[in-house]
Amino acid sequence: MNDQMAENDIILRSLDLFKEAFPGRINQILKSKEGGKKIVGTLCLYVPDELIYACGADRVILCGGRSAPIEAAEEYLPRNLCPLIKSSFGSVIDQKCSKTKSCPHFGMVDLIVAEATCDGKKKMYELLDKYIPTHVMDLPQKPENQNALEYYIKELESLKDVLENLTGNKITDTQLRNEIKSANETRKLLRAIYELRKSDSPPIRGTEILKVVQQMHFLSPDEFKKNLVLLLDELNVTKREFSGPRIMISGCPMAAGNMKVPEIIENQGGLIVVEESCTGTRAFWDLVDENKEPMRAIAERYLKIPCACMYPNERRINQILQLAGDFNVDGVVYYTLQFCHGYNVEKYRVGEALKKSGIPLLSIESDYSGADTEQIKTRVDAFLEMLE
Amino acid sequence: MISIGIDVGAATTKAVVLRDNEIAGYAIIPTGFDFRQAGEAAYREVLSNCGIGESEVGKILATGYGRSSIGFAEKTISEITAHARGVGYLIPAAHTIIDIGGQDSKVIITENGKVVDFLMNDRCAAGTGKFLEYTAKALEISLNELGTLALVSKHPAKISSMCTVFAESEVISLRAQKIKKEDIAAGLIESIILRTITMVKKLGIKHEVAFVGGVAKNPGVVKAFEKALDTKVQLPEEPQITGALGAALVV
Ligand code: SF4
Ligand code: SF4
Repeated sequence: MNDQMAENDIILRSLDLFKEAFPGRINQILKSKEGGKKIVGTLCLYVPDELIYACGADRVILCGGRSAPIEAAEEYLPRNLCPLIKSSFGSVIDQKCSKTKSCPHFGMVDLIVAEATCDGKKKMYELLDKYIPTHVMDLPQKPENQNALEYYIKELESLKDVLENLTGNKITDTQLRNEIKSANETRKLLRAIYELRKSDSPPIRGTEILKVVQQMHFLSPDEFKKNLVLLLDELNVTKREFSGPRIMISGCPMAAGNMKVPEIIENQGGLIVVEESCTGTRAFWDLVDENKEPMRAIAERYLKIPCACMYPNERRINQILQLAGDFNVDGVVYYTLQFCHGYNVEKYRVGEALKKSGIPLLSIESDYSGADTEQIKTRVDAFLEMLE
Repeated sequence: MISIGIDVGAATTKAVVLRDNEIAGYAIIPTGFDFRQAGEAAYREVLSNCGIGESEVGKILATGYGRSSIGFAEKTISEITAHARGVGYLIPAAHTIIDIGGQDSKVIITENGKVVDFLMNDRCAAGTGKFLEYTAKALEISLNELGTLALVSKHPAKISSMCTVFAESEVISLRAQKIKKEDIAAGLIESIILRTITMVKKLGIKHEVAFVGGVAKNPGVVKAFEKALDTKVQLPEEPQITGALGAALVV
C-alpha cells in the first residue's frame, strides 16, 4: 500500500510542460500578430481548425471556464443563462471595456468564427459582433439528413472565403491535407493516451488528463503535439497505478478554469477513466479521412461530433454505451452546466440507456460558483459508496 | 463491542450507541453554529445517557452535512449510505426511503440493504422542514399544530408556490380570503411533499416505503404521503436517528 502510494506521487514532468507553455504561447501569438498574422477566435469544436491554420492564421479558444468575468457579462446577459456563455462573453467585455484585461486571449482576436449551436450562444454572438467581428457558421441540426453534409460543406466553403479575405491567403489543397495530417496525429496521440486509461490500474488521473485536454486549443498545435509525445512516453514507463471506482464524466464541456466536479470526484476517492465531453473524447475521437477530398473529409468528421444541440442524437447515446464498456466504467457522472437545456434534457435518455446496461448514473448540475461544493461532495460520496 | 454513530445535520445533531449490534441509547441536540462542537456535545450526551465511559468506546463514525468536522471520528460516510443502513436495520422490508430533514430531502432506493439509486434536493428550502417552519409561522401556529391541524382538513387549499418565500405570502393572502386554517395547513403539506413525490416517481417506487427525518414526526405529512403514494408508509419509532444508527452500523 505504502509503496503504491509513493509511486503514485511520482510527478510526470510532461504534465507541467502543458501549463508552462501557456505564457510563452501568448507572447508568440502577440509577436506573430505584430508580424501581420491574423488571429481567429473560436468557441466550439464544430469549427475546423484545419481551415484556419491552412489559411496561415492562428487560432485561440475563447471558451470561458472561470467565474470572474460572469459579473461583467450579467450587465448584458440574463442571469439564468449557461455560465460558459456568460464567462466567454464577460471576458470579451472585460478586454474591450475595462483596464483589468482578465484574459489576454480576447484582446488579440481579429475575427471570431462562431457556430449555430445552442440558442444561448447564437444570441450571445449577436452581441459579441459589436465588439469583435463575428462570422457565424450555420450547422445542419439534423446531421443525418440526406443533404446535411452537402449543406455543411457549403458552409465550410463560405468560411473558407471569409478566412481567405481576412488573411489575403488562398487555402490550397496541399496545405489543407498537411493540416489534416497534423491534426490527425494529435488525435491519434490523445487516443493512445486514453487507451492507457482502459487498464485496470491506469497511470494517470482524470483531473490530470482534463488539464491537458483543456490546453488542447490554447497551445499551438505543434507544441501541444510535442508535449503529448513526451507525456505518452512517460506514461508508458511510469510505475504509477491508480485505482478506485471507475467513473465516466459525460455532458457539458469543462472549459479551462472549471475543475470543481472532477476534483471532488477524485478527492473523494473516485477515478475518472474517460470524459465524454468537449473537453474529452468529443475533441479528438474521430479522424479526418486522409484519402478523401479534403473539404468533404473535414465536413464528414466534424459533423459526427455528438453534441446535444443535434437531433436526433442517438449517436451520443451509443457512444456513451460504447465508452462505458471499453473503459470498464462502474458509474457515470452526468455533468451539466446550469441552464444548458440540450444536455439537461438529453440526460433522461442517457440515464434510461445506462440503466438498461446496469450502469448507475449520478446527475450533477452546477455553475462556476463554489456555493454547492459541500452538496456535490455528499452526492459524490454516496455515489462512490454505492459503487464500492 | 460499542460503536457510536454521529449524524451532524444542518439543523440537529444525532448520536446513537450500538452495543453488540443493539441500540443502547441515543441523543438528539440542536446543531447550532459549530458542527464540531455539536458533534462533541451529542457524543458526551449519548455517553452519559447510556452510562458508558469513553474508554469502552470501540469506534466512532460520522455522517451528515457536517461529518468532515468531526475530527475524532474514525471514518465518515455519506448520509445516504447511512440512512440506507439504519433503515435496513430497523425496517428490513423497506426499499424506498424518504428522508426529509430541516434543510434537505432525499429519496433512496435500496436492494439487500445497499443503495442502488438516490435523488437529493438540497439546493433550496422548498420541500424541506424549513418550508413548514416558515409557513407555520405565517399561520401563527407551531409546527406540531400544523401537522395535527392538517389531519382534520376536508378541503386542502391549493398552494401553488413551492418557493418558501412566495408560499409565505400566499398563506397570508389565503388567510385574508378567510380560508380555514386547517385547509391552509393541509395545503402547505401537500405542497411540501410534491417535490419528494416527483423524486420517488423518477426513481420508481419499490415497496415498502419508509419515511425518516425530522419531518416524519409530523402526522399531517405522513398522511399526505400515504394518500399521494397510495400505500402505507413505515415509520421507525424514532425517525430522526436512522442516519446516526446507520453510521454506527458501518464496520
Ligand atoms: S458542447 Fe456542443 S456547442 Fe459546446 S463546444 Fe461542444 S460541440 Fe460546441
Ligand atoms: S454548455 Fe450547453 S448551454 Fe452552454 S454553450 Fe454549451 S451547449 Fe450551450
